[in-house]
Amino acid sequence: MMKTFSMVTSFFGSLWGKWLTLLSLFLVMGLGAGLYVFWKGLSVTNLTDMVPWGLWITIDLSSIAMAGGAFFLCAGVYLFGLKKYEPVARTATFVGLSGYTMAMLALILDIGRPDRFWHAMVYWNERSLLWEVTMCVCLYLMVLLLEVMPIIASLDWLRNRLPKLAAMMEHVHHFAPYLAIVGMCLSMLHQSSLGAVYGVLKSHPFWYRPDIAVLFIMSAVAAGMSMTVFTSMLATRLTKRAIVKDELLERVSYFIGWMMVAYLYFRFWDAWSMNYTYQAGKTEALSVLTSGVLSFNFWFGEILLGAVLPIILLLNTKTRLNPYSRMLAVFLIAAGVVAFRWDTNLIGQIVMVSYMPGEPTVSYSSYSPSLIEWLAGGGIIAYGLTLFSLGVRYLHVVDHTIYEKKHEAVQETAPVGNAVLA
Amino acid sequence: MTEKEFSRRDLLKVTGVAAAAVIGLQVYNDVSASEGAPTGGRQWAMVIDQNKCTGCGYCVMACRAHNDVAPDHTWNPVLEDVPVNDKKVYLPRPCMQCAKAPCVDVCMVGASYYRPDGIVMMDYDKCIGCRYCEVACPYSARSFNWTSFDAPNPAVPEWGEPEVARRPRGVPEKCAFCYQRIDRGIAIGLTPGVDLDATPSCVVACPVGARTFGDLSDPTSPVSVLLHDNSSFRLRDDLGTGTRVYYLPVKPEA
Repeated sequence: MMKTFSMVTSFFGSLWGKWLTLLSLFLVMGLGAGLYVFWKGLSVTNLTDMVPWGLWITIDLSSIAMAGGAFFLCAGVYLFGLKKYEPVARTATFVGLSGYTMAMLALILDIGRPDRFWHAMVYWNERSLLWEVTMCVCLYLMVLLLEVMPIIASLDWLRNRLPKLAAMMEHVHHFAPYLAIVGMCLSMLHQSSLGAVYGVLKSHPFWYRPDIAVLFIMSAVAAGMSMTVFTSMLATRLTKRAIVKDELLERVSYFIGWMMVAYLYFRFWDAWSMNYTYQAGKTEALSVLTSGVLSFNFWFGEILLGAVLPIILLLNTKTRLNPYSRMLAVFLIAAGVVAFRWDTNLIGQIVMVSYMPGEPTVSYSSYSPSLIEWLAGGGIIAYGLTLFSLGVRYLHVVDHTIYEKKHEAVQETAPVGNAVLA
Repeated sequence: MTEKEFSRRDLLKVTGVAAAAVIGLQVYNDVSASEGAPTGGRQWAMVIDQNKCTGCGYCVMACRAHNDVAPDHTWNPVLEDVPVNDKKVYLPRPCMQCAKAPCVDVCMVGASYYRPDGIVMMDYDKCIGCRYCEVACPYSARSFNWTSFDAPNPAVPEWGEPEVARRPRGVPEKCAFCYQRIDRGIAIGLTPGVDLDATPSCVVACPVGARTFGDLSDPTSPVSVLLHDNSSFRLRDDLGTGTRVYYLPVKPEA
């Protein structure tokens, strides 16, 4: 009895225990909110016929963007031979799994008929970009699950209890290059076409531009890698189970810096080109972004803090080598991409072009999420953090020495095959 | 453990196969892609005369009753247009039944589709409620069922009896030119647009005859005659949606 008691107190006294308690709080509230949504329907949200896509769609878009590091780093490691980044790709893959499952949760909440979610796979309209996104996301989730197999195989419990299964799961690693190819194709398709979902809608002149697709994939790659670097660095500061080789993260961060330069370059021309001649809806939306209700988000969230400052911090050697300014930079990039997704989703909906006869006129609507939307959204984010934290603790998700350790283990115990690994 | 090297050659091979597959899928899509509503055969259209519309809203009520629409929704609002010579001008707005409908293009499960006669239909049993169609529609013709409509319909029986099933919570609904009246009418030998029982309820309910319905591919149909004899316009023609609802603009009194 006393022993149990002391175990409980030491659990809640530890940082891990406190962290899990906090996450559980958000998970419970999120679960409650989610069930309430399923029971009452979407009327408990602040969504309207004018703004039918809100916070949850932003979470969906953002978590897929945060997962964008997985395909990019896996392609780098397994296709372009940058082998030394393999442990970083391992982290990114797990971040990817967390991100995509978060997106799935957000979508289940958001659709009006969650009981029919499977229709998306059974009934096809190949012309719909959302169909293409759904197919790619589902297939890519399979790829991610396969890619995560060898990571789950490093769970001590599994290796002790089911060594054969663990060995089989470990073996999936041999297919990594093929998975990387499939993953890259699928991600290149849907990361950009998530932008094109908006980009093909002629009814919303601000959205109706091809650049959106390009901006979405570039920002997803930058945000995905930023998230990987940030979570890795944060984890090493919080637990001994996370071991990083800082020079790897430093190199990745340097690349992110240049990626953001390229993104900002495209972003500049995209915005600048909208600055000429009046077009109903487009011109108004641009002013909402640059001087209206979304201007703070745009200038500070997306541009200054989300791109310019991190670019300086990551391309300047001194600030890149400093772990805290580097962490700040990659965090700001991820936050900036969330702001970009939020603004992009909202702006086309709050600036409405009339269909009345004569010259099109513009009217405005507004949206701010309801408490239930925040709680459910918070639950989704808490789920992602929980999954990642468990990965760090039990699956060596952030462990840059793991592949070296494995090679040693293989050489010591099993010179002939890997089945004895367990 | 011998690790098979994944060579550049392998990469090229696999990438090539994948690219070929993607291109193949694209070609297949281009061939099979929907190029808008089918043409030929009967093509239903509506002509609304702004000279006649008084904004009474009978059409709105008749629509609610015949299609069992909740009081806080309308498939067919009557909007105020710009006044001409200080006289109020109205613009009733049913679903435009676009020939190239954005909602049909974007629907991921194909719940929005064209009937051979050009009516843009909703399969309420297929829809998952993602609301992409609602975002895509330039005419705000769709209204989402945020709640379920369980109460008795206050428009019934004064304005008519429901002819279609109520839609569930969580799907967007819209006008479908009272397809149920057209189909039933044709089945018993009536002509939509001529015989009231085969004509959309808003057209039937209009006390001033501002709405006309009929077959666009029949040059003698009431809509074809009206469009031949008068100048007309369509809403946001510049979008290329090819709507099937035509308006006769107000002629300032000479």
